[in-house]
Amino acid sequence: MIIMQTEVIDHIKFGILRSDDAKRLSVVKLTVPDTYNEDGYPIDGGLLDQRMGVIDPGLICKTCGARAKSCPGHFGRIELVRPVIHSEFSKIIYMILQSTCRVCHRLMLSDEHIAEYRSVLPKLEESVEGDLEPQGAESEKGFSGSAAMLKRLKNMKKCERCKASKGKFKFSAPTYFYVDDYKLKPDEIRDLLSKISNEDLAVLGIDGAVSRPEWVILSVLLVPPVNVRPSITLESGERSEDDLTHKLVDIMRINLRLDQNLNAGAPQIIIDDLWELLQYHVTTYFNNETASIPPARHRSGRALKTLAQRLKGKEGRFRYNLSGKRVNYSARTVISVDPNIDLDEVGVPIDIASKLTVPFYVTLWNLEKAKELLARTEYPMVINVISKDGKRKRVIDTNREELLKGLQVGDILERQLMDGDITLFNRQPSLHRVSIMSHKAKVLVGKTFRMNYCVTAPYNADFDGDEMNLHVPQSLESQSEARNLMSPQFQIFSPRDGDVIISNNEDGITGMYLLTKDDSYLTKEQAVYLLSIAGIYELPKASKGDLYKGRDVFSMLLPKDLDFDGVSGKAPFVIRKGRLVEGVVTKDTYGRGNNRLMVKIGKDFGYEELKRFIFTTAKVADAFVTLMGVTVGVREYTTSKRLEEERVKILEDTFRKINKLIDDYRNRKLEPLIGYTLRQSLERMIIAELNIVRDKAGETLLKYETEENAAVEMTRSGSRGSTLNIEQMTMFLGQQATLSGGRIKRGYYTNRVLPHIVPGDIAPGARGFVATCYYSGLAPKDLFMHAVGSRSSEVYKALLTARSGYLYRRLSNALQDFYVTDDYSVRDTNNNMIETVYGGDIINPVYTQFEKMDKES
Amino acid sequence: MPSKSGHELVPVHELVSDKETKELLKTMNLDITNLPRIFSTDPQAVKLGARPGQVIRILRRFENATLPYYRVVVED
Repeated sequence: MIIMQTEVIDHIKFGILRSDDAKRLSVVKLTVPDTYNEDGYPIDGGLLDQRMGVIDPGLICKTCGARAKSCPGHFGRIELVRPVIHSEFSKIIYMILQSTCRVCHRLMLSDEHIAEYRSVLPKLEESVEGDLEPQGAESEKGFSGSAAMLKRLKNMKKCERCKASKGKFKFSAPTYFYVDDYKLKPDEIRDLLSKISNEDLAVLGIDGAVSRPEWVILSVLLVPPVNVRPSITLESGERSEDDLTHKLVDIMRINLRLDQNLNAGAPQIIIDDLWELLQYHVTTYFNNETASIPPARHRSGRALKTLAQRLKGKEGRFRYNLSGKRVNYSARTVISVDPNIDLDEVGVPIDIASKLTVPFYVTLWNLEKAKELLARTEYPMVINVISKDGKRKRVIDTNREELLKGLQVGDILERQLMDGDITLFNRQPSLHRVSIMSHKAKVLVGKTFRMNYCVTAPYNADFDGDEMNLHVPQSLESQSEARNLMSPQFQIFSPRDGDVIISNNEDGITGMYLLTKDDSYLTKEQAVYLLSIAGIYELPKASKGDLYKGRDVFSMLLPKDLDFDGVSGKAPFVIRKGRLVEGVVTKDTYGRGNNRLMVKIGKDFGYEELKRFIFTTAKVADAFVTLMGVTVGVREYTTSKRLEEERVKILEDTFRKINKLIDDYRNRKLEPLIGYTLRQSLERMIIAELNIVRDKAGETLLKYETEENAAVEMTRSGSRGSTLNIEQMTMFLGQQATLSGGRIKRGYYTNRVLPHIVPGDIAPGARGFVATCYYSGLAPKDLFMHAVGSRSSEVYKALLTARSGYLYRRLSNALQDFYVTDDYSVRDTNNNMIETVYGGDIINPVYTQFEKMDKES
Repeated sequence: MPSKSGHELVPVHELVSDKETKELLKTMNLDITNLPRIFSTDPQAVKLGARPGQVIRILRRFENATLPYYRVVVED
């Protein structure tokens, strides 16, 4: 038995690769600045030397003996004849050189000063142990401490130790360092850096044990394996090299020329020029977007993509390939509605269905079926065959016969997605668990995913161009879990408060409301049509001659032996033996509030029946709305003469009351509220009065509006709109509030909102109460007040969504791995007890009757 | 209802004997370190004279039940 030693990674220390290590890491020293010879064979010692690994299939790596797929690749090296600076470190070199003395090679601070700074600096050794980050206040102190120290070092004229003058030290990006206008050569810099002690480096925040500063001067350049920079063969047979290879060729070419010139004893100017050129190539090899030097270009003029460019930014390795991995067996497209698709179905375009696959496990018992499937040449056909030994073969016309012959038990066929296959449907942002639910595929023509509008609420989806993702679970276990746990019918009741999330809405409610109204009668044709949509092919008993009562037609959709007592508005809502005896269906009787039809059906008949009920009622209601024609227009929002009179009366009443309050206040007769000053009390009383007038207007509105008003009907049925909405259109807008919830009061320094207002006026109209309505048009002053209110609510909304969204994200990330155990305790993945009993009361809101929380408490 | 702890909003805290602790941890399939913690300097822990490593039972009252919560005493 192999005994495996497992260790936990305690910490990772990053350091700088030294040239000796680079030498040891590499398997080959590259000497020839070229790739292939005339025969198209990689040159030994060239940039595609086969010791660095192979990429062409069939070839064998000369280092490890493996073939292209299994060879991990091996590093090579270029030995530079003159050292160069690693440009990404030049800022650090600058910092070090500026802080140390070039004569005594010590930090330019005296021991006392070092000790002084040491006390405020975060300690290097300590920060590795224990907490990764130094404690809050300390780190800030340390940060400002080190900043202060560096600033002092920078401004120093001479060394505090040996009193040697610092001279004029200059750094010019990216790799030039000057002392009194003499340009330091890389080897000179290396000599300076290597003489600094580890103790002095520690003060600068550098750990000399793993990163000696002289190591950033390169004399050996590590060459990445060929599979990091594969060459591609164009259609014309021409080879095209990777950008990195191009860059490395440049480096080697200059390196070689520099070597030749050195050996030939060329003049110093030529050597220096070549040396600088070598520096340029190495700099751009690391980062071709280095500031203040021109980027190295391809022959076509395109800038080369070198090491830093591969990693950096949106299209870099991190964000594009690591954080943004693509998922197999998934699809994404625009969504659209189809009320004829069940709640737990999703319409999948045929184009997508023929790309996505589901595994078909070949057994002794379905071998015949498997063969039949494999033999098919159109839509539900097999795309891949995975044989017993795990080899995946694509089925094409030419090998179908052969595969058919070789088919055996234990093989897996990957067949195209078919009706009834389970899929996972998701819309981002996935904020809660119902953002991903399982739907059965229904393959359709078209290019969009189709879904029932009743399941838009959990996804927060609409059809103005939203896109959604579809995933196909592959293993049988995941398919079963999707089917039995993630199906929409199990998610109808919210685990948050037990309210319904998946429900009929909008037109679906209006339809049922109209259908079940007292005076709703249907002809035989209409009744048959509606019931046929629900898949019911029998008629209820006719009443009133050959007419059918709307309620009786609706009753056909109810479970046969349902008994229910509820309220519809203030009237009773009664169902006996599956027959709606009395009452009109509204949103509240259907699925909102305490006592609702959906809960009753779910509890007595199960989720499957509840799902069917929602689906059929929605379908029938939609058909009925279409049949009747429901619309709203200006007519619904027209002010009648009677209403106008009523409006004036109500407002006059209120204004009189408020004027009285103000008078009382001015005469010191106002009784203050407990805990408020007199002025605050007045303000609160005025606001309370204005709230009352709003409610009063709503009541009057419903009293005067007849049933023919579709807008009022919508409000009554609960499908869309509130009395407030209608009131704002036909009567008055009411008080416009600001962010703080108070009345609008800021504007001019004379204590008024607009110059048209008497300074200090606190009457409703002067503080943002709008007495005009949308229908008759807002008065100029009112329009302004309205705009103030709108702007502030818009700003508030943006702020609130951003903040609460992030708050929710943090919360759900923190809680996501907790689960409820058999003994109802809540634990995390390390078996830590989070709560002794779930929620403190072992109540799962899904199984409770939803109660609206009292707003006041 | 007046609480033993002195204030109605502070639930009753009581010390769990070592023997009972052992049994509890066994039935709940927990290590003592898996329990939620309470500081030994917590007023209630001080009142009970609890030492680090001991377990305190907190009887929380809800609308329909009084349920025990357990916390292990740790050094502050």
